Amino acid sequence: VGVPDVGASDETLAACAATGDDRAFEALVERYQARVFRLACRLTSEADAADVVQDTFLQVYQHLATFRGDARFSTWLYRIATNAGLMVHRRRARRPTESLDPWLPRFDADGVHADTPAQLSVVTRMEERLDRDRLAAAARTALDRVPDLYREAFVLRDLEELSTAEVARVLGIEVATVRQRVHRARLLVRGFLQALGEGRP
Amino acid sequence: MSTVTCESGVAVLMEYLEGTLPEDLRTAVDAHVAQCPRCVAFIASYRETPRMLRDATAAEMPSDLVASLRAALRAHRRTPPTNG
Repeated sequence: VGVPDVGASDETLAACAATGDDRAFEALVERYQARVFRLACRLTSEADAADVVQDTFLQVYQHLATFRGDARFSTWLYRIATNAGLMVHRRRARRPTESLDPWLPRFDADGVHADTPAQLSVVTRMEERLDRDRLAAAARTALDRVPDLYREAFVLRDLEELSTAEVARVLGIEVATVRQRVHRARLLVRGFLQALGEGRP
Repeated sequence: MSTVTCESGVAVLMEYLEGTLPEDLRTAVDAHVAQCPRCVAFIASYRETPRMLRDATAAEMPSDLVASLRAALRAHRRTPPTNG
């Protein structure tokens, strides 16, 4: 087996790596490690991300032979990394299930927003009002409070910027379900940020 | 034409912003938003939320972690695979 060049496709590298070409495997790791790390941070925390990244690439290595190439390599990798991240997160963050209603938009009996335009704009003005560190902490808090089901879809679609169809393939769910979950997560994150901005707990 | 409220508009907001709503519903949402300052404020914050979170959570992989990952994966490959 010849050494694949740096411009080789993921799928070519994966096929070479599956036959025992370690350089091809290392090329895949180099290509994706930063993205997997960022994804792991978003699904877990920076403290746990190193373990998730290592676990992800060990699994990739061990299961390369089962990667058939009928899916994109990145889809397969994101699936492994997402599952690895959620495993760690479930172990760490076992919080009691809280009602999510206080974080969803509120409406009066006629279906009109119960909040004023000024309240509804709190999130839009947050970046002017908070410094970088406090904004990062607020984002982290908000993200951690979104249930895993919605968070994984939100992280892949809105933070990693995969297409809706790609997220559907990674998670093995329908496109319409991805949209529902991402929408729900956006409403929740937005609601958490508004509450934080208004000084509600 | 169906009447859209803030609540029914929020329910279809993602499809509205992605441009996947049927034409008549999209027009109805447009008409509602045009005269609703609350929805204008809400939609702006809903649109900003993904970008804000993306910027605030964009962690870079530390270089020592790149090195330790490489070492760990190499150590693993030197270990002969076991069956099962």
